[in-house]
Amino acid sequence: MSLPDPSFLVIQCLSGLTYAMFLFLIASGLSLIFGILRVLNFAHGSLYMLGAYLTYYFVSQFVNAPGQFWWAVIFASLSVAIIGGIIERFLLSRLYIREELNQLLFTYALVLILSDFAKIVWGTGQLSVSRPAILKGAVPILGQYFPEYNIFIIILGPAIALLFWLILHRTRWGRFIRAAALDREMLGSLGVNVNRLFTLVFAIGAWLAGLGGALVSPIVAIVPGMDVEIIINAFIVVVVGGLGSFWGTLLGALILGQVTSFGILVLPRLSMVFIYVLMAVVLILRPWGLLGKPLQR
Amino acid sequence: MSKENWFLIILVLLLAFLPLTESRFYVFLGTDILIMGLFAVSLNLLLGYTGLVSFGQAAYFGIGAYTCALLMKKASVPFPLAFVAAAVFGAIAAMIIGFFCIRMTKIYFAMLTLAFSQIVWAIAFKWNSLTGGDTGLIGVNFPAHLDSPIRFFYFTLAVVALSFYVLRKLVNSPFGRILTTIRENPERTEFIGINVKLFQLIAFMISGFFAAIAGALFGIFNHSVFPDFIFWPQSAEVLIMSLLGGIYNFFGPVVGAAVLLYLRMQVTSFTQYWPLILGTILALLLFFFPGGIVGFLKSRQVFTRKNQCS
Amino acid sequence: MRRSLTLWMVLSFVTIAFLLPQTANAQKKPILVGYPAILSGGGALFGQPSMVGGQMAVKDINEKGGVLGRPIELLIRDCKSTPDEATRVARELILKEKVQFLVGGFTASQGLALSEVAKTEKIIYIAPVSKSTAMTEPGKLHPYVFRAAANTNTEGRSAAVFMAKNPWKRVYTLGPDYEYGQMVIKAFVEWLKKIKPEVEIVGQAWPKLGEADFTPFITAIMAAKPDAAFLALWGGDFVNFAKQAKPYGFFEKVKVVAGGEGGCPETAIALKDDLPLGITTNSYDLFYYPDTPEHKAYVQRLKAFTKQEYAPSWAITGYISVQFLAEAIKKAKSTDTMKVIKALEGLTINTPIGKQTMRAKDHQANRGQFWGTTAKVPEYPFPILRPVEYIPADNLMD
Repeated sequence: MSLPDPSFLVIQCLSGLTYAMFLFLIASGLSLIFGILRVLNFAHGSLYMLGAYLTYYFVSQFVNAPGQFWWAVIFASLSVAIIGGIIERFLLSRLYIREELNQLLFTYALVLILSDFAKIVWGTGQLSVSRPAILKGAVPILGQYFPEYNIFIIILGPAIALLFWLILHRTRWGRFIRAAALDREMLGSLGVNVNRLFTLVFAIGAWLAGLGGALVSPIVAIVPGMDVEIIINAFIVVVVGGLGSFWGTLLGALILGQVTSFGILVLPRLSMVFIYVLMAVVLILRPWGLLGKPLQR
Repeated sequence: MSKENWFLIILVLLLAFLPLTESRFYVFLGTDILIMGLFAVSLNLLLGYTGLVSFGQAAYFGIGAYTCALLMKKASVPFPLAFVAAAVFGAIAAMIIGFFCIRMTKIYFAMLTLAFSQIVWAIAFKWNSLTGGDTGLIGVNFPAHLDSPIRFFYFTLAVVALSFYVLRKLVNSPFGRILTTIRENPERTEFIGINVKLFQLIAFMISGFFAAIAGALFGIFNHSVFPDFIFWPQSAEVLIMSLLGGIYNFFGPVVGAAVLLYLRMQVTSFTQYWPLILGTILALLLFFFPGGIVGFLKSRQVFTRKNQCS
Repeated sequence: MRRSLTLWMVLSFVTIAFLLPQTANAQKKPILVGYPAILSGGGALFGQPSMVGGQMAVKDINEKGGVLGRPIELLIRDCKSTPDEATRVARELILKEKVQFLVGGFTASQGLALSEVAKTEKIIYIAPVSKSTAMTEPGKLHPYVFRAAANTNTEGRSAAVFMAKNPWKRVYTLGPDYEYGQMVIKAFVEWLKKIKPEVEIVGQAWPKLGEADFTPFITAIMAAKPDAAFLALWGGDFVNFAKQAKPYGFFEKVKVVAGGEGGCPETAIALKDDLPLGITTNSYDLFYYPDTPEHKAYVQRLKAFTKQEYAPSWAITGYISVQFLAEAIKKAKSTDTMKVIKALEGLTINTPIGKQTMRAKDHQANRGQFWGTTAKVPEYPFPILRPVEYIPADNLMD
């Protein structure tokens, strides 16, 4: 194979960044829910899938409306947030007094139920959503073309990261959320409604997943099985980056994005194994993730 | 003799007469249930007895299946040797993976087991030349002398019954007592001088050993070995079987395996939405029947049981 | 004591429930045919219409009085896209539902897995779609497996022929990294090297089956600046690839020959304006070609049966497979497996696209495919293949 020229490397890197940003959106929700609620939400991929399907639904509802895609994204991600909140409030919270296995398995039950629910409502075939009109084109970068929509995603990712960081570290509720991660009983005895806080956190996590699904809908096919596909990758991201660590999730997503992007060049048929080997190395050397805390509880 | 031993003997006797029904289907179902029952019981050694939630037992199941099949197919190793090798490999893999996993506890432990089992899956999925990749190993024949479904069924029955006997002896021995003590309170157990991590690792290895036996049997029963055996929903399924039957009872997981397999077969003949039903069953279990079927049945009679779930 | 009594009772109840006789299937009048089909996921785009074709064949046959006076009944199960699921579903169909014949499966890996089930259970299996030559090659072939589909040799070599007709020198291949992708690309590369040795394969890309994100592959291929690429993506994968590649201007920069039935109307309808124009690709059937009266009648019936405006092309695969089975049973005058096998070998039937013969030597039908170039036409709201021709398989099979 000939030596790749620099423009190609840049494009490949940008591809990896796009994918990384999607992973970050989803994995950060997963990490948030784990960090605060101590629940590993298997159903996070299902929420992502719902976000995509609901975007398709809203796009078809807002036919020929201006900005239909953006409205659909907003409605879809909010709907997923509400669904997440309802699940937490009425179902998941009843399992908190039990051991963690129960919560874990309940989220798995949700995966099964939600995936069939999507099949029943939207059928088993593939659906697709068109890119929004203003981002349909491509920008020339060093002689190659790169889609505008992907650039948008690359910018949006860090924007959301920054937004969250600000919320977590500069607002009152953000302080409560961080405190809940450390000591929920103490927080409760200080008069904060911890139950409502938990519902809010789960809803935010769900919103992130739904947003990821909504934004990805013009790029990939909306199809049953996308929930399982993404949860594995999100899982790898948080394992590598560190469960409950915000920057760890970002780091993990970036690593996974670039490894995927360049892995197919270096070892075309083994790029998947690459990722798993990376995960294995991290697990053996630093089981709590690259930026996770060595606390075990 | 204890109730559980009676159960075992009755089960064996009943199943021994199964082939007389002249139904290939019952022999098929019976073999399937026996194998998955063993798999579920091996998991329950960790789950119910030691309190370790492993989400990656399918790895050892798959390692057992691949090892036995590969040795027989590609290296023409005679079945008894291949079978034993499969079990040993399963134990070794469990030892290696378990060593890294037990450093963490609870949810992190579960995650690590899941992560490692996915690594094993990826290897099986991608190493085309060895494992056949995603096409799998097609064409694993019955070993000589066991070359009919009925003969293989009896062999499976013997192996599984023997395994149950060994495992029961184990959980009722001082070793088993230590495991349940660890489950109840690992810190206090450590205080009384027991090397908790060592015992957890040994339990892990034993569990992997028997899971691999189940896998080796299944590979032959299925006549093909696929990487799906190791994919994480398979680990979830055996967890559900254990939970469904009842993790605080030795034979609970067998009951769970039988019920789940039978249900799946019936349900899938008239609807494709089996996952919906499975998910609902699981949710109902978690909310209303934490002791599983056996736990539920037992609780109907007695109010105080030392094994009642917390 | 009471505890063990209840346990005994439960045990007895459960045992009796298990031993309750299953609904008697063996003496029923219909001929039971098990049909594992892909009904979910990206493969359903092709798998679902393929199965529907089988259903229509059964309807046509039953309306004419069935086979040997008995109706055919299809028992359909979703085999998803894995060989594991296909195996499980097939064994249950055979052992529990007591089907006498097996038709179906879709991916190449599923074909191999089902072939194995057929071999151990001694049941005839006709593969409507699975293309891997490994199913019928010496060493793997056994009496019970038959293939009505084309195979990876036919497809890969046809593609090589088209590639060779053009002045392109640098070629990139891209195919899903599983049995089908590996075999068809192997056949393509070997044949191309044979008929035009000066062509250089500058790179090979191997996404996984069902890949969600093709962009790293798209950019990698474009960076290598090949003259042309051979794509072996099918179903949802091809749809995804085309959609994702469009903004990069892929199809303008790289000429494409695509296997995997990229030219079929199902794909065109799914992609509409995103279907790349000017690529050479294939299909198993087309609702607009050939113009024979038999084919036209078939298309009309299919439109009515599926209630779709444009009859799906994949239906023909299920249709012809059921036809082969039915004709063989008629010729054998029995449903006895060995007799039907004998009848199938060398059997020639009239299908809506012409005569097809099931070769005795390797249980493979001489199934060719329609190849053409995608073009926009005023008659339809999506691109079709024009020009198009049927490439027979006879010279391309071993």
